[in-house]
Amino acid sequence: MKKNFHGSKNNNILNITLINVKKNFKIATLNKIIFVILVGFPVLGGLIYAFLYSIGVFGILNNSVNFDAWIAVLTDIYFFKSLAFSLYVGIVSVTLSSVISFLLAYYWKKEFKGGILSTIIYLPLCFPATVMAFFVFQMLSQSGFVSRIAYYLKLTTAISSFPEIINDAFGIGIITTMIALVTPFFIILFTTVYQSEKVDELTALATTLGATRKQIINKIVIPVLFKKTAVTLVLFVIFVMGNYEVPLLLGRQNPRMISVAIVQKIQRFNLYDIPKGYVMSIVYVFFLLLTLGIVVLKNPNFFKTTQSND
Amino acid sequence: MTKKVTQYIFILSIGFPLLFLLIVSLGKKWIFPSILPASLSTSNWQIIQETETNFGTLFLNSILLSVSVSLMVTCISFIVSKSIAYSKNKTIYLILAYIPYLLSPVIMAVLFHYFFIIFNLTGTLLGVIIAQFLVAFPFGIIIFTSFWNEKIKAIEELSYTLGSSSRQTFIKILLPLAKNTLLLCFFQIVLISWFEYGLTNIIGVGKIKTLTLSVFKFINEANIFYAAFASILLIIPPMILVYINKKMLVFIENNNS
Repeated sequence: MKKNFHGSKNNNILNITLINVKKNFKIATLNKIIFVILVGFPVLGGLIYAFLYSIGVFGILNNSVNFDAWIAVLTDIYFFKSLAFSLYVGIVSVTLSSVISFLLAYYWKKEFKGGILSTIIYLPLCFPATVMAFFVFQMLSQSGFVSRIAYYLKLTTAISSFPEIINDAFGIGIITTMIALVTPFFIILFTTVYQSEKVDELTALATTLGATRKQIINKIVIPVLFKKTAVTLVLFVIFVMGNYEVPLLLGRQNPRMISVAIVQKIQRFNLYDIPKGYVMSIVYVFFLLLTLGIVVLKNPNFFKTTQSND
Repeated sequence: MTKKVTQYIFILSIGFPLLFLLIVSLGKKWIFPSILPASLSTSNWQIIQETETNFGTLFLNSILLSVSVSLMVTCISFIVSKSIAYSKNKTIYLILAYIPYLLSPVIMAVLFHYFFIIFNLTGTLLGVIIAQFLVAFPFGIIIFTSFWNEKIKAIEELSYTLGSSSRQTFIKILLPLAKNTLLLCFFQIVLISWFEYGLTNIIGVGKIKTLTLSVFKFINEANIFYAAFASILLIIPPMILVYINKKMLVFIENNNS
């Protein structure tokens, strides 16, 4: 009797588990469909529309199917210039910020672990790109704060004698803003990885084995930190490349960063420019896919492993 | 000694932008080469209440928009991400999620703008909410995939074995376990929505006003005093977040490559 009772209880539990498994399976399929609708459709739908528009299927001025817009964009030096300029801004900003962040995170590691610096480093993250760009403009423009101080110190004699570092050809204003936006995040990133990878313990071990300080930095600290954060750094290059607000406020017409160039083409009153804008966005999406593809091939584990936030 | 001095300079340089914006927001008439505005008073702050741009309403509306987008993203991505994380094709799904996440929101807006026009969603609050949702949802998925791991799966299965229903498991086990990740996702999305400019501008066609958009508007009107004031308002909510829990401000991906 007792045995039967236990048997039926076990059967019940088994049944409940089976029902749950079946239910979960159905939910999983439904969830995947929702995912594809919410994530895949907007991008894919948008790309298809953009492609059809670019070859003349849609649009008021398009009468026949043609690849004029494609030819125009792919032979346009300004388009490649703006793609290259965006890449340049992305790479320079991320390289400089990662070097600054690495030095700060390494030499002030104790202070970033606890104490006032560990909190204050979060403050710049409260600044949206728009506000940071506005601040940098107020600082570095020819009538900005730095220029006023330079005038006061008699380093300059008039507004125009202060160098043009905002809306400049080298994107100094944009890069400065990006560094200000990205560096705090990188410092937090390096500090976190430094602790999670137990670099201190590795250093202690290396010291015991007779390594010099220089060897420790070159052979342990730099490889561990940069290898661990490599994918994140590459992703940040893409983030910076695609930024819209900062170059909109601090950039100039030529060279323009890619997001600004695309939006300007599509929102312009000249209807002939719209298909070109769509071609540019398609090319940009493919550039992104290519980069993402390389990242996935080089770091297959990035998309498989778990992530942590502390 | 040098280390201490450099650290103080570093701390000052971090605090400086805030102080600078505060001074500018209080200023009137700032003609070159004066280092500070000619007069400083709170009159800018009072005038702003009376003008057509009612900052109080604007602030509350922006908060409401961000919170509703974030609530939707957090709830839906939490549920959907579970199936993605446990799927055999997790890598493919995640790559799919990374595309809109990496693509600039403004380019996303350019791509799906047409569909918003068809469904009469441009220039409406609902349209902006949906557009921001579509941009933020993949990020929610990326955040939550880190939560669903083998350990959580084992705990969940254990609860079923002990006779718990899926509802009980969800409410009494999964939700408490996910509390921190849920909060992280919620605040991250609030910030994304709160700071969003390009996409909101394209889909909202200027009819939907947010605080970030107003900063741009004042900058374009060359009204730096109002722009500085709007900037200060924009920074306050994230600063409160730093005070409550600074770790909610960043999401760090951890790759074992």
